Amino acid sequence: MFSISVNIYRHLLILYPASHRQVFGEEMIAVFGEMQAETASKGVVARSLFFVREAAGVMTGALLEHWRALGGDPVWPTFPIRRFTMRTEFRFPKATAVLMTIILAGVMVAIKQGEAIVASVPHVSQPVGTIHPVHSVLLGGIVLWLAFFYAAGMIGWAVLFALRRSGVHRLAETSTGPK
Amino acid sequence: MEFLPLTEPVLLILLSLAGQPRHGYSILKDVERMSDGRVVLSTGTLYGALRRLLDEEWIERFEERDSSRGRQAYRLTPQGRRNLKLEVGRMKQLTRLASLRITGKEA
Repeated sequence: MFSISVNIYRHLLILYPASHRQVFGEEMIAVFGEMQAETASKGVVARSLFFVREAAGVMTGALLEHWRALGGDPVWPTFPIRRFTMRTEFRFPKATAVLMTIILAGVMVAIKQGEAIVASVPHVSQPVGTIHPVHSVLLGGIVLWLAFFYAAGMIGWAVLFALRRSGVHRLAETSTGPK
Repeated sequence: MEFLPLTEPVLLILLSLAGQPRHGYSILKDVERMSDGRVVLSTGTLYGALRRLLDEEWIERFEERDSSRGRQAYRLTPQGRRNLKLEVGRMKQLTRLASLRITGKEA
Protein backbone atom coordinates (compact mmCIF):
# COMPACT_ATOMS: atom_id res chain seq x y z
CA MET A 1 0.00 0.00 0.00
CA PHE A 2 2.86 2.32 0.95
CA SER A 3 4.80 1.88 -2.28
CA ILE A 4 1.62 1.93 -4.38
CA SER A 5 0.51 5.33 -3.12
CA VAL A 6 4.04 6.72 -3.37
CA ASN A 7 4.22 5.46 -6.96
CA ILE A 8 0.86 7.03 -7.75
CA TYR A 9 2.10 10.28 -6.23
CA ARG A 10 5.29 10.02 -8.28
CA HIS A 11 3.17 9.69 -11.42
CA LEU A 12 0.94 12.59 -10.41
CA LEU A 13 4.01 14.83 -10.28
CA ILE A 14 4.17 14.53 -14.08
CA LEU A 15 1.46 17.21 -14.01
CA TYR A 16 4.09 19.72 -12.85
CA PRO A 17 6.40 21.54 -15.27
CA ALA A 18 9.70 19.69 -15.72
CA SER A 19 11.68 22.53 -14.13
CA HIS A 20 9.70 22.24 -10.89
CA ARG A 21 10.00 18.44 -10.89
CA GLN A 22 13.76 18.58 -11.34
CA VAL A 23 14.24 20.82 -8.33
CA PHE A 24 11.56 19.58 -5.93
CA GLY A 25 10.33 16.25 -7.32
CA GLU A 26 12.34 13.81 -5.20
CA GLU A 27 11.95 15.96 -2.12
CA MET A 28 8.15 16.09 -2.53
CA ILE A 29 8.01 12.31 -2.94
CA ALA A 30 10.11 11.83 0.22
CA VAL A 31 7.88 14.18 2.24
CA PHE A 32 4.74 12.54 0.86
CA GLY A 33 6.18 9.15 1.90
CA GLU A 34 6.78 10.38 5.44
CA MET A 35 3.30 11.88 5.68
CA GLN A 36 1.75 8.73 4.25
CA ALA A 37 3.63 6.51 6.72
CA GLU A 38 2.38 8.66 9.57
CA THR A 39 -1.23 8.58 8.30
CA ALA A 40 -1.16 4.80 7.82
CA SER A 41 -1.89 4.21 11.50
CA LYS A 42 -4.93 6.51 11.47
CA GLY A 43 -8.55 5.77 10.60
CA VAL A 44 -10.11 5.43 7.16
CA VAL A 45 -11.58 8.95 7.18
CA ALA A 46 -8.24 10.52 8.13
CA ARG A 47 -6.46 8.54 5.41
CA SER A 48 -9.10 9.42 2.82
CA LEU A 49 -8.85 13.11 3.72
CA PHE A 50 -5.07 12.88 3.46
CA PHE A 51 -5.20 11.42 -0.06
CA VAL A 52 -7.87 13.90 -1.20
CA ARG A 53 -5.83 16.80 0.21
CA GLU A 54 -2.62 15.59 -1.42
CA ALA A 55 -4.30 14.99 -4.79
CA ALA A 56 -5.94 18.42 -4.69
CA GLY A 57 -2.62 19.98 -3.63
CA VAL A 58 -0.79 18.44 -6.57
CA MET A 59 -3.44 19.45 -9.10
CA THR A 60 -3.74 23.01 -7.81
CA GLY A 61 0.03 23.34 -7.44
CA ALA A 62 0.68 22.01 -10.93
CA LEU A 63 -1.88 24.39 -12.41
CA LEU A 64 -0.30 27.38 -10.67
CA GLU A 65 3.21 26.34 -11.69
CA HIS A 66 2.10 26.11 -15.33
CA TRP A 67 0.46 29.50 -14.97
CA ARG A 68 3.71 30.90 -13.63
CA ALA A 69 5.70 29.21 -16.41
CA LEU A 70 3.39 30.89 -18.94
CA GLY A 71 4.29 34.25 -17.44
CA GLY A 72 1.37 34.55 -15.04
CA ASP A 73 1.39 37.24 -12.40
CA PRO A 74 3.34 35.95 -9.40
CA VAL A 75 2.73 38.95 -7.12
CA TRP A 76 2.10 38.47 -3.43
CA PRO A 77 -1.58 39.43 -3.25
CA THR A 78 -2.39 36.47 -5.48
CA PHE A 79 -0.19 34.17 -3.47
CA PRO A 80 -1.84 30.85 -4.19
CA ILE A 81 -2.24 29.28 -0.82
CA ARG A 82 -4.72 31.72 0.62
CA ARG A 83 -7.46 29.82 2.39
CA PHE A 84 -10.92 30.09 0.96
CA THR A 85 -12.77 32.42 3.28
CA MET A 86 -16.19 31.51 1.99
CA ARG A 87 -19.32 32.07 4.00
CA THR A 88 -20.49 29.13 6.04
CA GLU A 89 -23.63 28.58 4.00
CA PHE A 90 -21.55 28.03 0.85
CA ARG A 91 -19.28 25.42 2.41
CA PHE A 92 -19.89 21.72 2.26
CA PRO A 93 -18.87 19.30 4.98
CA LYS A 94 -15.70 17.23 4.59
CA ALA A 95 -17.88 14.12 4.72
CA THR A 96 -19.19 15.07 1.25
CA ALA A 97 -15.80 14.28 -0.29
CA VAL A 98 -15.82 10.87 1.36
CA LEU A 99 -19.41 10.26 0.23
CA MET A 100 -18.54 11.22 -3.35
CA THR A 101 -15.58 8.84 -3.28
CA ILE A 102 -17.83 6.03 -2.05
CA ILE A 103 -20.37 6.76 -4.80
CA LEU A 104 -17.59 6.73 -7.42
CA ALA A 105 -16.33 3.42 -6.03
CA GLY A 106 -19.92 2.07 -6.24
CA VAL A 107 -20.15 3.12 -9.88
CA MET A 108 -16.83 1.40 -10.64
CA VAL A 109 -18.02 -1.80 -8.92
CA ALA A 110 -21.29 -1.67 -10.90
CA ILE A 111 -19.31 -1.38 -14.14
CA LYS A 112 -17.18 -4.37 -13.20
CA GLN A 113 -20.29 -6.37 -12.29
CA GLY A 114 -21.83 -5.44 -15.62
CA GLU A 115 -18.75 -6.66 -17.45
CA ALA A 116 -18.88 -9.94 -15.53
CA ILE A 117 -22.56 -10.44 -16.47
CA VAL A 118 -21.82 -9.72 -20.13
CA ALA A 119 -18.99 -12.27 -20.05
CA SER A 120 -21.20 -14.89 -18.39
CA VAL A 121 -24.05 -14.67 -20.93
CA PRO A 122 -23.79 -17.69 -23.29
CA HIS A 123 -23.70 -16.95 -26.98
CA VAL A 124 -26.98 -17.76 -28.73
CA SER A 125 -27.07 -19.36 -32.15
CA GLN A 126 -27.62 -16.02 -33.81
CA PRO A 127 -25.11 -13.63 -32.30
CA VAL A 128 -26.18 -10.04 -32.01
CA GLY A 129 -22.70 -8.81 -32.76
CA THR A 130 -19.76 -7.82 -30.69
CA ILE A 131 -20.63 -6.32 -27.35
CA HIS A 132 -18.24 -3.49 -26.76
CA PRO A 133 -17.36 -2.72 -23.18
CA VAL A 134 -18.69 0.64 -22.22
CA HIS A 135 -16.53 1.37 -19.20
CA SER A 136 -14.16 3.55 -21.18
CA VAL A 137 -17.08 5.65 -22.43
CA LEU A 138 -18.56 5.77 -18.94
CA LEU A 139 -15.26 6.75 -17.40
CA GLY A 140 -14.79 9.45 -20.00
CA GLY A 141 -18.27 10.71 -19.24
CA ILE A 142 -17.64 10.74 -15.51
CA VAL A 143 -14.39 12.63 -15.99
CA LEU A 144 -16.15 15.13 -18.25
CA TRP A 145 -18.93 15.65 -15.72
CA LEU A 146 -16.43 16.06 -12.90
CA ALA A 147 -14.48 18.60 -14.96
CA PHE A 148 -17.72 20.42 -15.77
CA PHE A 149 -18.84 20.62 -12.14
CA TYR A 150 -15.34 21.60 -11.04
CA ALA A 151 -15.29 24.43 -13.59
CA ALA A 152 -18.83 25.50 -12.61
CA GLY A 153 -17.81 25.45 -8.95
CA MET A 154 -14.72 27.54 -9.62
CA ILE A 155 -16.73 30.10 -11.61
CA GLY A 156 -19.35 30.23 -8.87
CA TRP A 157 -16.71 30.66 -6.23
CA ALA A 158 -14.98 33.40 -8.27
CA VAL A 159 -18.29 35.29 -8.61
CA LEU A 160 -19.01 34.98 -4.87
CA PHE A 161 -15.45 36.00 -4.03
CA ALA A 162 -15.66 39.04 -6.34
CA LEU A 163 -19.01 40.05 -4.82
CA ARG A 164 -17.61 39.64 -1.34
CA ARG A 165 -14.51 41.69 -2.14
CA SER A 166 -16.66 44.41 -3.72
CA GLY A 167 -18.64 44.73 -0.49
CA VAL A 168 -21.96 44.33 -2.28
CA HIS A 169 -23.26 42.09 0.52
CA ARG A 170 -23.05 45.03 2.90
CA LEU A 171 -25.64 46.95 0.90
CA ALA A 172 -28.36 45.01 2.67
CA GLU A 173 -27.10 46.42 5.95
CA THR A 174 -27.32 50.00 4.70
CA SER A 175 -29.83 52.08 6.57
CA THR A 176 -32.04 54.23 4.34
CA GLY A 177 -33.40 56.50 7.01
CA PRO A 178 -33.73 57.11 10.72
CA LYS A 179 -35.26 54.28 12.74
CA MET B 1 4.88 47.01 1.35
CA GLU B 2 3.02 45.32 -1.44
CA PHE B 3 3.53 41.79 -0.06
CA LEU B 4 1.70 42.53 3.20
CA PRO B 5 -0.48 41.18 4.68
CA LEU B 6 0.79 37.64 4.36
CA THR B 7 -1.59 34.74 4.15
CA GLU B 8 -1.79 32.58 7.25
CA PRO B 9 -0.03 29.53 5.75
CA VAL B 10 2.87 31.68 4.49
CA LEU B 11 3.13 33.40 7.85
CA LEU B 12 3.20 30.03 9.61
CA ILE B 13 5.86 28.68 7.23
CA LEU B 14 8.05 31.72 7.90
CA LEU B 15 7.48 31.45 11.65
CA SER B 16 8.41 27.80 11.46
CA LEU B 17 11.73 28.72 9.87
CA ALA B 18 12.32 31.66 12.22
CA GLY B 19 13.40 29.44 15.10
CA GLN B 20 15.61 27.03 13.21
CA PRO B 21 16.24 25.66 9.71
CA ARG B 22 13.88 22.84 8.80
CA HIS B 23 13.24 20.36 5.99
CA GLY B 24 9.88 19.92 4.28
CA TYR B 25 8.30 17.32 6.57
CA SER B 26 9.41 19.22 9.66
CA ILE B 27 7.81 22.43 8.32
CA LEU B 28 4.51 20.63 7.66
CA LYS B 29 4.38 19.22 11.16
CA ASP B 30 5.41 22.49 12.79
CA VAL B 31 2.74 24.46 10.89
CA GLU B 32 0.12 21.95 11.99
CA ARG B 33 1.35 22.12 15.60
CA MET B 34 1.48 25.93 15.70
CA SER B 35 -2.07 26.23 14.36
CA ASP B 36 -3.43 23.49 16.66
CA GLY B 37 -4.26 21.36 13.63
CA ARG B 38 -6.28 24.10 11.93
CA VAL B 39 -3.83 24.60 9.04
CA VAL B 40 -2.76 21.33 7.44
CA LEU B 41 -0.77 21.92 4.26
CA SER B 42 -0.49 19.40 1.48
CA THR B 43 2.94 18.62 0.08
CA GLY B 44 2.06 20.36 -3.19
CA THR B 45 0.92 23.50 -1.42
CA LEU B 46 4.03 23.58 0.77
CA TYR B 47 6.42 23.29 -2.15
CA GLY B 48 4.51 25.89 -4.17
CA ALA B 49 4.96 28.29 -1.27
CA LEU B 50 8.62 27.35 -0.74
CA ARG B 51 9.41 27.89 -4.41
CA ARG B 52 7.88 31.37 -4.33
CA LEU B 53 9.69 32.23 -1.10
CA LEU B 54 12.94 31.04 -2.70
CA ASP B 55 12.25 33.15 -5.80
CA GLU B 56 11.66 36.19 -3.61
CA GLU B 57 14.84 35.34 -1.65
CA TRP B 58 12.98 35.26 1.66
CA ILE B 59 14.37 31.80 2.33
CA GLU B 60 17.34 29.78 1.11
CA ARG B 61 17.88 26.10 0.53
CA PHE B 62 20.85 24.07 1.69
CA GLU B 63 21.82 20.45 2.23
CA GLU B 64 21.62 19.22 5.81
CA ARG B 65 25.11 18.17 6.92
CA ASP B 66 24.05 15.75 9.63
CA SER B 67 21.47 14.00 7.45
CA SER B 68 22.48 10.60 6.15
CA ARG B 69 20.08 11.05 3.23
CA GLY B 70 21.45 14.46 2.24
CA ARG B 71 18.09 16.12 2.73
CA GLN B 72 17.46 19.66 1.60
CA ALA B 73 16.58 22.10 4.34
CA TYR B 74 15.37 25.69 4.35
CA ARG B 75 16.22 28.74 6.44
CA LEU B 76 15.23 32.39 6.54
CA THR B 77 17.40 34.94 4.79
CA PRO B 78 17.99 38.34 6.43
CA GLN B 79 15.45 39.78 3.98
CA GLY B 80 12.90 37.15 4.95
CA ARG B 81 13.44 37.80 8.66
CA ARG B 82 13.08 41.55 8.09
CA ASN B 83 9.80 41.08 6.21
CA LEU B 84 8.51 38.70 8.86
CA LYS B 85 9.22 41.31 11.53
CA LEU B 86 7.37 43.91 9.47
CA GLU B 87 4.34 41.63 9.23
CA VAL B 88 4.37 40.86 12.95
CA GLY B 89 4.67 44.60 13.67
CA ARG B 90 1.69 45.28 11.42
CA MET B 91 -0.34 42.63 13.22
CA LYS B 92 0.64 44.01 16.64
CA GLN B 93 -0.50 47.48 15.62
CA LEU B 94 -3.78 46.08 14.33
CA THR B 95 -4.33 44.07 17.51
CA ARG B 96 -3.61 47.10 19.68
CA LEU B 97 -6.07 49.20 17.69
CA ALA B 98 -8.69 46.46 17.83
CA SER B 99 -8.31 46.13 21.60
CA LEU B 100 -8.72 49.87 22.03
CA ARG B 101 -11.80 49.98 19.83
CA ILE B 102 -13.41 46.97 21.50
CA THR B 103 -12.90 48.35 24.99
CA GLY B 104 -14.03 51.78 23.80
CA LYS B 105 -10.95 53.61 25.04
CA GLU B 106 -10.34 55.38 21.74
CA ALA B 107 -12.70 58.00 20.43
